Amino acid sequence: MNKLTYIMLGLLLLAAAPLSAQVSFDGFLQGLYGGRLDQNNPTETEYTASETRMQLRAEHFGESAEFFGRLDFVYDGALDSEYDWELREGYMKFRLGNNFDLKIGRQILTWGTGDLIFINDMFAKDYRSFFVGRDDQYLKAPQNALRVEWYNSLGNLSVVWSPRFEPNRLPDGRRLSYYTPFGPFGTMLNEPMIVGTGTGHSYYFDPPTPESKFKNSEIALRFNRSIAGYNTSLYFYHGFYKNPMGAEQVGVMVWPAQPSPVYSPVYPRLNVYGASLRGMPFGGVLWLEGGYLDSRDDPDGDNPMMPNSSVTGMIGFERQIATNLTANVQWQADYMMDYGLFSARQQPGVFIRDEVRHLVTSRITKLLLDENLNLSGFVFYSPTDEDSYIRYSASYKYTDEITLTAGGNVFTGKHPNTEFGQFRHNDNVYAKMTYGF
Amino acid sequence: MKNLNTLLMAALLGLALFAGAASAQTAEEIMKQSHLAYYYAGDDGVAEVGMRLIKGDKERNREFTMLRLDNAEGGAQKYYTYFKKPSDVSRLTFMVHKNPEDNDKRWIYIPAVDLVKPISADDKNSSFVGSDFTYEDVSGRHWSEDTHTLKEDATLDSSAVWVIESIPKEKYKGFARKVSYVDKASSLPLKEEYFDKKDKMVRIFTAERTEEVDGIMTVTLRSMENLKKKTKTFVDFSRIKYNQGLTDDLFTERYLKNPPRQFVK
Repeated sequence: MNKLTYIMLGLLLLAAAPLSAQVSFDGFLQGLYGGRLDQNNPTETEYTASETRMQLRAEHFGESAEFFGRLDFVYDGALDSEYDWELREGYMKFRLGNNFDLKIGRQILTWGTGDLIFINDMFAKDYRSFFVGRDDQYLKAPQNALRVEWYNSLGNLSVVWSPRFEPNRLPDGRRLSYYTPFGPFGTMLNEPMIVGTGTGHSYYFDPPTPESKFKNSEIALRFNRSIAGYNTSLYFYHGFYKNPMGAEQVGVMVWPAQPSPVYSPVYPRLNVYGASLRGMPFGGVLWLEGGYLDSRDDPDGDNPMMPNSSVTGMIGFERQIATNLTANVQWQADYMMDYGLFSARQQPGVFIRDEVRHLVTSRITKLLLDENLNLSGFVFYSPTDEDSYIRYSASYKYTDEITLTAGGNVFTGKHPNTEFGQFRHNDNVYAKMTYGF
Repeated sequence: MKNLNTLLMAALLGLALFAGAASAQTAEEIMKQSHLAYYYAGDDGVAEVGMRLIKGDKERNREFTMLRLDNAEGGAQKYYTYFKKPSDVSRLTFMVHKNPEDNDKRWIYIPAVDLVKPISADDKNSSFVGSDFTYEDVSGRHWSEDTHTLKEDATLDSSAVWVIESIPKEKYKGFARKVSYVDKASSLPLKEEYFDKKDKMVRIFTAERTEEVDGIMTVTLRSMENLKKKTKTFVDFSRIKYNQGLTDDLFTERYLKNPPRQFVK
């Protein structure tokens, strides 16, 4: 018997034990099937998803402490048939005195004001899930962390310490293709291009994370208080870029001709200083958020292998525009510092981003049939990068237990190396059925 | 003699006018009492709520714990809702700060993504969790927004009631006219009929079961029938407790994310 079987047996025993009187269980069973629409996608499978998932949730609580677990078991048949499991959450929560709340363990963390735009939320995201139609909850990847919240007369201070850096989960070339500046074996011998494992397994993307050391842990802080009915926050983050935006030379390849340097992607060191404000004027919700991303491995912007620092800000507004119809718009501007140094060193023929990158988004949600049918669309569009990403879905609650969903993801881009343009071969549609218990 | 007649007529007219004014006063007073009895029972309240949403032979269910705190009798209130069922919304929490002079403020917390989200809430007539009750049915429409007239004294299911007609002072989406049957003994609404612009009855509220809880008469089973959509919702309140000493800090983001377990099991 393998490990998984033991865990399943253990859980069954746990559920059957007298303890179950106090531990409550629920969860869901879900089938998700999706396929790509672009036959030129250089991935090795036509399926973007082909999986059966069971999520089990267990909860126990007393007056001052509680435990919560969320465990996923997945049978994944999109590539080689494989079984997988992940502890999505497993934490204990308790109160110290009157003013401190502690949450320790594997947990999902979110803060900030944006709708799918994250400036000060430096907690791990899972775009591999987000782009193939998994539920919204899978956009957030779990972190092993200790969270302390201190409530005092000035406001609320939250401190999150993650001993080990937790990166974003990005398309790795297996089901979703991506752009890489690297050629075979980490050299830069080839033209930068959109790659996938369908064109050779060497493109399987699995960058090394920072070493497991105390100094490489992540710290995120937020101070939050209400001023004149507005929720205002200050943020600080000390850690790394969540995407491997840097590169370092790790060797030299002498074959086939002249020696070529070999590179490896890295997660550059990063500090973020930010602030946000959110309130409910004009019969809707208004939010503003900004941040300064301090690229600690390239403070002067003169290292071509590391990202430059940037200042980024956004404004958003949401309101109900008719019965059961809600819409929002957001605008984000991202200003790259030391842009001259950056643009001067780019390879010829490659699209160079503007000094200020603009991004506009809009979400529209319509509820029909007594709120049982949810139609939703979300558009990202960048006029400066000339790319876009559209998410759409229709979800019908057939009964309290059964939900049927169909949807899709559309990527467009003029250039192969922009945020969404790199995914332009990944258009897909999916169908999903969920049974909640 | 003619003078006397004129005098008598004048007196009668005066009396009639006075009586009319008194009845208007009384009708508004009754509706105020009814509003306070129904929406502001005790200083605070905690209850387990079960909802049955019925459409044809199909039934959907909601289960949640509800906390309410009155900041001012007939004025600002705070509501906290912790969902238990169905499974896809379990552990989700929802909070409303109701202010009769302004838009309500609503927040939702989605634990699966640790997300606190304010909800734009200018439409009080949208459905509460897909049921036949609107947000305003749950938290109440202030009596001063309508003009009330006492139509008659009557008997409804062996209870003596006032029958009161309410007409919105300003154009209102929720109803054009409402007829309430208010129990004389408890001031609770036993039945309400909602009419649309064409004066067609579109919704009926019924107090299906009334009980005394902690010395306070309470509607523990209520229903709303939507005659247009042919749907009906039953709301069953159980384990009701009044005057639990709830405080303002329970209705903040801290407790939205960390349910107060002494009340939310």
